[in-house]
Amino acid sequence: MKKISRRRFVEGTSAGIVAVAAIPAAEAQQKAPVTAAQPGVPRTTIKVIVNGVERRMEVEDRWTLVELLRDHLNLTGTKIGCDRGECGACTVLVDGTPLYSCSQLAVWMNGRSIQTVEGLAKNGKLDPLQEAFIQHDAPQCGYCTSGQLMIAKALLVKNARPTHDEVRTAMTGNLCRCSNYNHYVEAVMAASGTAPSTGGGNAA
Amino acid sequence: MTPLKTVGHATHRIDALQRVTGAAKYTSDIHLPGMLYARVLRSPHPHARIRKIDLAKAMVLPGVKAILTHENCDITWGSGDQLNQRRLFNNPVRFAGDPVAAIAAVDRHVAEDAMHLIEVDYEVLPFLTDLEEALKPGAVKIHETGNLSLNNQRQPQPQTYRRGSVADGLKAADRLFEDNFTSAHHNNAQLEIRVSIAEWAGDKLTVHAATQGIANCRTDIARDLKMNVDNVRVISEYMGGGFGNKNQCQDSDLIAAMLSEQAGAPVKLEFTRKEDFVAVHGRWSSRQSYKVGVKNDGTLTAIQLTALTGAGAYRKSSCDLSGTEIYQVPNLETSVSPVYTNTAVAANYRAPAYPQGVFGIESLMDDVAYALKMDPMEFRLKNMTRKFRDQTPYTSIGLEDCIRKGAEKFGWKQRWKPVAGSGDGPVKRGAGMAMGMFGSGLGRSSAVVRLDGQGQYHLHVGVTDVGTAAKTTMGLIAAEELGVPLEKVTVVWGDTDTCPYSVGESGSRTTVQTGMAVIEAVRDLKKQIAEKGVPKGNEVLTAMATTNPAQLQGQSRNSFAVHFAEVEVNVETGHAIVTRFVSAHDSGRVVNPLTAQSQVQGGAIQGIGMALHEELLYDKRSGLPLNAGYYGARIMTHLDAPLVDVVWVETDEPYGPFGAKTLGEPTIIPTVAAVANAIYNAIGRRVKSLPITRDKILGVLA
Amino acid sequence: MRSFSNVNPKDLKEATGVLRQKGQAAAIVGGGSDVLGMVKERLITPDVLVSLKSIRGLDRVTEKNGEVVIGGLITLDALSRDPLIRKNYNVLAEAAAHVGTPQIRNAGTLAGNVCQRPWCWYYRNGFPCYKNGGNTCFSITGENEFHAIFGGGPSFIVHPSDTAPALVALDAKFRIVGASGERTIAAAGFFKLPADNPARENVLANDEVLSEIHLRSAKAGVRSTYHKEMDRESWTHAVVSVAVVMEMDGQVCKSARVVLGGVAPIPWRVPKVEAMLAGKRITPELAAQAGAVAVQGARPLAKNQYKVPLTQAVVKQTLVTLGA
Repeated sequence: MKKISRRRFVEGTSAGIVAVAAIPAAEAQQKAPVTAAQPGVPRTTIKVIVNGVERRMEVEDRWTLVELLRDHLNLTGTKIGCDRGECGACTVLVDGTPLYSCSQLAVWMNGRSIQTVEGLAKNGKLDPLQEAFIQHDAPQCGYCTSGQLMIAKALLVKNARPTHDEVRTAMTGNLCRCSNYNHYVEAVMAASGTAPSTGGGNAA
Repeated sequence: MTPLKTVGHATHRIDALQRVTGAAKYTSDIHLPGMLYARVLRSPHPHARIRKIDLAKAMVLPGVKAILTHENCDITWGSGDQLNQRRLFNNPVRFAGDPVAAIAAVDRHVAEDAMHLIEVDYEVLPFLTDLEEALKPGAVKIHETGNLSLNNQRQPQPQTYRRGSVADGLKAADRLFEDNFTSAHHNNAQLEIRVSIAEWAGDKLTVHAATQGIANCRTDIARDLKMNVDNVRVISEYMGGGFGNKNQCQDSDLIAAMLSEQAGAPVKLEFTRKEDFVAVHGRWSSRQSYKVGVKNDGTLTAIQLTALTGAGAYRKSSCDLSGTEIYQVPNLETSVSPVYTNTAVAANYRAPAYPQGVFGIESLMDDVAYALKMDPMEFRLKNMTRKFRDQTPYTSIGLEDCIRKGAEKFGWKQRWKPVAGSGDGPVKRGAGMAMGMFGSGLGRSSAVVRLDGQGQYHLHVGVTDVGTAAKTTMGLIAAEELGVPLEKVTVVWGDTDTCPYSVGESGSRTTVQTGMAVIEAVRDLKKQIAEKGVPKGNEVLTAMATTNPAQLQGQSRNSFAVHFAEVEVNVETGHAIVTRFVSAHDSGRVVNPLTAQSQVQGGAIQGIGMALHEELLYDKRSGLPLNAGYYGARIMTHLDAPLVDVVWVETDEPYGPFGAKTLGEPTIIPTVAAVANAIYNAIGRRVKSLPITRDKILGVLA
Repeated sequence: MRSFSNVNPKDLKEATGVLRQKGQAAAIVGGGSDVLGMVKERLITPDVLVSLKSIRGLDRVTEKNGEVVIGGLITLDALSRDPLIRKNYNVLAEAAAHVGTPQIRNAGTLAGNVCQRPWCWYYRNGFPCYKNGGNTCFSITGENEFHAIFGGGPSFIVHPSDTAPALVALDAKFRIVGASGERTIAAAGFFKLPADNPARENVLANDEVLSEIHLRSAKAGVRSTYHKEMDRESWTHAVVSVAVVMEMDGQVCKSARVVLGGVAPIPWRVPKVEAMLAGKRITPELAAQAGAVAVQGARPLAKNQYKVPLTQAVVKQTLVTLGA
């Protein structure tokens, strides 16, 4: 029994208690949520290519790119760790360039091509980086992993055989609070085919 | 130790694929139909009484569905304070960040807009940010019992421990040492921000929580909402780190539930990163004063510690200090006083009482060794603990091996300089070491294992896996005991509807405690198979176990760690960086060397950040935090991280699953002190307050 | 975020027209990272974001009339990699490479970095200081670890830009386009001390945009470098930095420009140091003297005294390295 001290909210603003059907979370997640337009909030129609699929959609001008991806396209592999461009969890590739998707507006993406972690595997085959991340235990909690993958992907496209320090320098905008930096670097080196003698880290 | 078939072999995580493809659904990734978004309005004042809250403008904003304040929601958040009645919405508010109202609306922007439309009339009260000021007579009382938080006997006295007589020990000493050390409040800062989603179906509540323990989270929610525990379901399938700040149930779980009830729709409440820094909790700060007596031959005769710790505005955890237990000493006295101030709450962060306490004692012991012209390693070998509190034998102890093998891997003899501060040029190298230990007690947990007609085993355990690879560890333990490959075991986790009780991932207890339950359940299953044969077709065999081992009598079960750091310090610029690091650990048998290595490397690198950078800083005049967030906290980056070499000292431990002991928290315990001691060795001056920032290094060199 | 509309002007004329029309209600966007952060924190509450991303041609390095012209919208990453800049204006390439993180440099623009608002924690946390429209500076008696040791008063912020000291050291010219015309001024004249107007860091009017940077064609024998000391190994603003440009004649320094970052509300030139280097070989002894002279007149606050020896060391070490 619920207790009376949890009082009902002020009348008029609440729709009252409605029994919510117990839809399994996984099923509910299949559908991207629909958002009704808010009165007086400017919206713009944009065309973007997301993981190779062209989409035309109306966005609020104030939506960030990560918000578009997560809340409206159901691409939740990209994470929000700070929403201020300070952690890198939201890193995606925009026309191949890694950017913090929390620090870009969706409207600025008009005409651009976006790749997220969901677009890394091709034809059911994992990217070599994903394979190496598994084998070298790169993710601990895994929350920063998508961002680490995308920044590493951008690096290897430009520089297929990076040195140890090039990897660390390229990935320094991606925090990992589990601090699994050694394994992240080791995994990227392995994916590049540059067999590492050791993991990451400052040289002694 | 006998090698095993599955346990002890490097194995990648069973959910690694989900984690590298974006398929893993963390709490914030879940969208429910009709779900509302919530925000919390927080006090802008460190201490104030709320006179009036005007919701008129917020309520008429289209899309606003529910608003909670202290006036319509009087729920006590039990795990938010062990001693005082901490409510979801308090009046008075006791720190800048204390919740004042919560709003649910159709989307995140409307919720935020509404938050800014709430008008609150505050009577601003005097506030305290400093521990010593808070204890002065006449200081404003933050709680009715005063600003010295109560001890375990519920008295306004320090928490004390004593053996022998410190006075006698100091008298017996040839040399006396006294010094003071301080450490700062700093944040867990896990990548996943606090988030909860609540939905009701009649009287049943489901909370998708980012929690380190679904079972305790559920009982906490039921207790605080005065519900039958059977009506609460907690789900946490993937968890983005916590390091102690997602233990139990958090206020976000309760606020989301209350908003959801009032709005009649599912509610997602996500904090901002800034809220996570100021309004959840971080590690408690400390001010430590030590007196140490020692014989000329280096034998310790007495240690006395008197300390204040910063609880912040509420008493959410022990606020104790550890560290002195790593030394053998006949006379010991510790006295720790948790103090309330009007600042962010302090509670559990990876080995909550340890790295800051070890920083103090191990800095001072280093000074003692140098003063006696002893190698700090030899000093530690001489004085390290051999029995718990000098009385109780350990079930196993690999501390000496951690020192010796770690020193060898590190190259202690070559890297440590007998004359601290020596060397040419502005860039000085130095080496330091420190020890640590952590309890690895046995305890209650449950597990269920099923064998289906297709020959697949299903292991149900109440773990969430905060990043420790707990799911994989449980699978490995089951596979080993079953004598089958890991692929034959499907692990079911993260849902109180399908998983039995586990203490959750706090206190580094899952491997030992839930691991034992897994072994017991498997043994029962094997017995059933022997009696009934393997199931066929639709048949199933199910076994379960609740292990509740008695606490060991006359023995103490502990993990041990010794860390070695090398630093480079530029004495002209104050720049310091760790260039080499070795972590030597006795955690008994290592269940999964791959993921265990991640833990050890991560704990050390996190600890280096604590040593060099991190502090939640307050403006003293306003009582407001200044640097909440990742930029301000100077969290370690890829370029800050040294390579951490891991040395395993696998002692033959008679208890626990295959002799495994605790690992997660010990990984950070000696780190901070090892770095501090390396800086001393490099520059010949000691920085006695954490973090050891550039200004302090240049300060001691000036 | 509070609601706003985004406009994509096709040229500077349209952009500055919107800026003039909207006044304080408009905010200029280059890369966007910092502006969005400020909007999220409600430090600024624009009704209109004027995104310059849609304007073409302002994102490249070109040579014309013996000058090198850099579009204000060039990303910091592109600038740091540009072969011409790396060859002849190394200090600028290095400064650009030291800003934030790779992702920030991929988005952030040169003009945006030069015009960045301060990162003083009182300002960023919304304290009612000069920068937030108030009439006090909280750092004076507060937490002033990162504040100014030169040129402070009444505000004691430090200028946050890495590229600004480099541009002053290169004696760059800034082309500014406004709704009612354009002007070109010296980099050193662009930045303003708080004594002039404590609410602002530069001379830009509301409807003005920093559109181009002009650099004189490189002389033979010029070397330059940017050195930055941070609080961790990446992604902090300069605790102290120095931009040095030296024209060398063999082993002898013909002339030098030395500009400090992280120590003053504007890029802080040290003319006395420049004068003592002219006509001399850069020996370690001279570099040490230069370091000492660089901090003459420093007026540290209670908690930033360490910046004095730090600045001294940074100047010395950088001159030794560059002069070698």
